[in-house]
Amino acid sequence: MISLGHYLILSGIVFSIGLIGVTTSRNVLKVLLSLELLLAASNLSFVAFSKFNGDYAGQLIVFFVILVAAAEVAIGLAIIVLMYRRLSTIQADELKEMKW
Amino acid sequence: MFPVIDWSLISLEVLMAIILVGLVVADIVLPKNTDRDWIGTFSFIALFGLILFWLTQGHLNGTTFNSMFVMDPLAWFFKGFFLIVMVFIFAMTQEFFKTLGERRNEFYLLLWLALLGMCFMASSSDFLVLFISIEILTISLYVMTAYLKSDKLSIEAGMKYLILGSLSAGFMLYGISFLYGTTRSTHFDIIANFAAGHPMSAMALFALVLIFTAVAFKTAAVPFHLWVADVYQGAPTPVTALLSVGSKAAGFVVLIRLFFLVFKAWHPQWSLVFAVLSAITMTYGNLVALFQTNIKRLLGYSSVAHAGYLLMGAAAGTALGAAGINFYLLGYLFTNLAAFMVIVIFSIAAKSDTIADYAGLARRSGLLAWGLLLALVSLAGIPPLAGFFGKFILLMAVIKSGYVWLALIAAANIVISFYYYLLIAKRVYVDAPLNDTPIAVPAGMQLLLVLAMAGIIIIGIFQGPFFAAASHAAAIIP
Repeated sequence: MISLGHYLILSGIVFSIGLIGVTTSRNVLKVLLSLELLLAASNLSFVAFSKFNGDYAGQLIVFFVILVAAAEVAIGLAIIVLMYRRLSTIQADELKEMKW
Repeated sequence: MFPVIDWSLISLEVLMAIILVGLVVADIVLPKNTDRDWIGTFSFIALFGLILFWLTQGHLNGTTFNSMFVMDPLAWFFKGFFLIVMVFIFAMTQEFFKTLGERRNEFYLLLWLALLGMCFMASSSDFLVLFISIEILTISLYVMTAYLKSDKLSIEAGMKYLILGSLSAGFMLYGISFLYGTTRSTHFDIIANFAAGHPMSAMALFALVLIFTAVAFKTAAVPFHLWVADVYQGAPTPVTALLSVGSKAAGFVVLIRLFFLVFKAWHPQWSLVFAVLSAITMTYGNLVALFQTNIKRLLGYSSVAHAGYLLMGAAAGTALGAAGINFYLLGYLFTNLAAFMVIVIFSIAAKSDTIADYAGLARRSGLLAWGLLLALVSLAGIPPLAGFFGKFILLMAVIKSGYVWLALIAAANIVISFYYYLLIAKRVYVDAPLNDTPIAVPAGMQLLLVLAMAGIIIIGIFQGPFFAAASHAAAIIP
C-alpha cells in the first residue's frame, strides 16, 4: 500500500534534485529546468496531501501553479534568448560583469 | 449555494485590472505606427483617479470571494502607499525612457501589472491568492529588470533576478504545501485558528521557514539578499526604485499579515529568529555598503540594511512594532524615491552612476544636491527628518519587547551608516566638480522632487498624523 509518506519522500527527492540542479548547473537552461522541478515537487505534495486529507483545495491549487510555472518559463526563456544574443553564451558563469 | 460577493471591497483592483486590460488591448489593436505616447499621460491621469477613489475606501473592513480577499485598514494603508510610489515611478519612467523611443509605452503596462500584484499582496487572505499575487509582481519585475535589451548589465541583472526569484517562489510553494498538509487549509483564518489550538509541529516549522524565504527575498533580508546589489545596479533606475520601495513594502505587508496575525500564536518560537536575522541583515548591509563605488549598488546594500532595521519591528511582534514598520516605510518612501529621482536625472545628464562622478554636484544643480543631501541624511537617521523618527519607534518597540541587545546593535549600525552616507554628501558639496556644466531638471521632476523633500521634512517634524495613520493600519493586530 502506498501511503502519504511515500509521496512525500518522492516529492522531497524531486525537490532536492531541483535544488541541486539550480545550485550546481552552469547552463542557464538546466537551471530553468531545475526550477520547474521545484514547482513540480510542490504540486506532487499538494496532490498527495489533498488525497490523504480528503480536501480538494490542494488539487485546485495545482492548476494555478502550472499556470504560474508556464509564465515563469516563458519569461525565463525570453531572457535566455536575450542573453544568448548579447553574450553569445548561456553559461551562468559568464554573468560576471557585476561583482562587489 | 453560491457565496455572495461583495464587489465594493475589491473595486480598486477591479478598476486597475480594467485599466491594464484596456491598455493591453489598445496596444495590440492600434496600428503599428500610431502614436502611443498617450499611454503615459493616460496612466498618470488614471493613477490620480485611483488615488481619489482609494481615499473613499478608508472605512472598508471585511472579506470577500469566500474570504480569500480581505480589505482592512492594513490593506488600505498599503494600497495608498503603492499608489503614491507609482506616481513617482511613472514620472521617473517618463524621464528615463525618453531616449528609448517606441518601447517606452509598453513599460507602463508592466508597471500597472506590478501595481496590481502589490495591491493583491496587501489584500490576500489565502495562500493561493498570496502566491499568485507575489508571482504577478515578481514576473513583471523580471521583465522590467531585463528591459534594456542591448545593455549587458540589464540582462545579467534580469537573469540573476529570475533564477533567485523563482528559487524563492519554489521554496515558498513547497512550504505552503506542507502547511496545507498540516492544517488542511490554505485560508489565513483557519490556519490562525489551527495555530492558536496546536503547538508548532516540526512540519509546521519546516513550512514556516520555507514560506519566510519568499518574504525575506521580497524584503531583501539576509540570507536572501544575494540578488539585491546586482539587480539594483543592472536594472533600469525606475525599476530599482520600485524594487527598493514598492516591492520591499509589499514584502513587509505580507510579513505583517503572516507573522503578526496568522502565526501570532507561535510568536515566542519565531521572534528570536527575526531578532537574529535583523541583527545580521543590518550589520551585513552597512558593512558592505562602506566599500561601494556605484551609487545604485550602494543604495542596494543600504536597502539590505534598512530591511534589517524594519525586521526589528517583526522581532518585537507587537502592534507597536507593526506601526513602527508602517511609519518607517512611509518615511522610507519619500527618502528613497528622492534619492532615486536625483540618480535618474543625474544618470541621464552624466551617463554615469559612479559615486566619484557626483563630485561637485552642488555647483551643477542646487536642487539635485539638496534632494540627495536630504535623502541621505534621512536614510542615515539624523533628526529631525523622517528616517530618524522611524528608527526611534522601531528601537522603542524592540526595547519594550525585551531585545535590548538588538537595539544596541541597531544603534551601532546607525553610526556606521553615517560614514558612507555622509561621504557622498561630502563629495557632492565639498569636492571640486569634474565638469562644470549645469544639469537641467525638467519641471515635472522638479515638482516631484520638491514634494518628496517636503515629505521627508514634514513626516520628520509633524509625526503625529502620520504615526496615527500607521498605528490605525496596525490596530488590527491584537
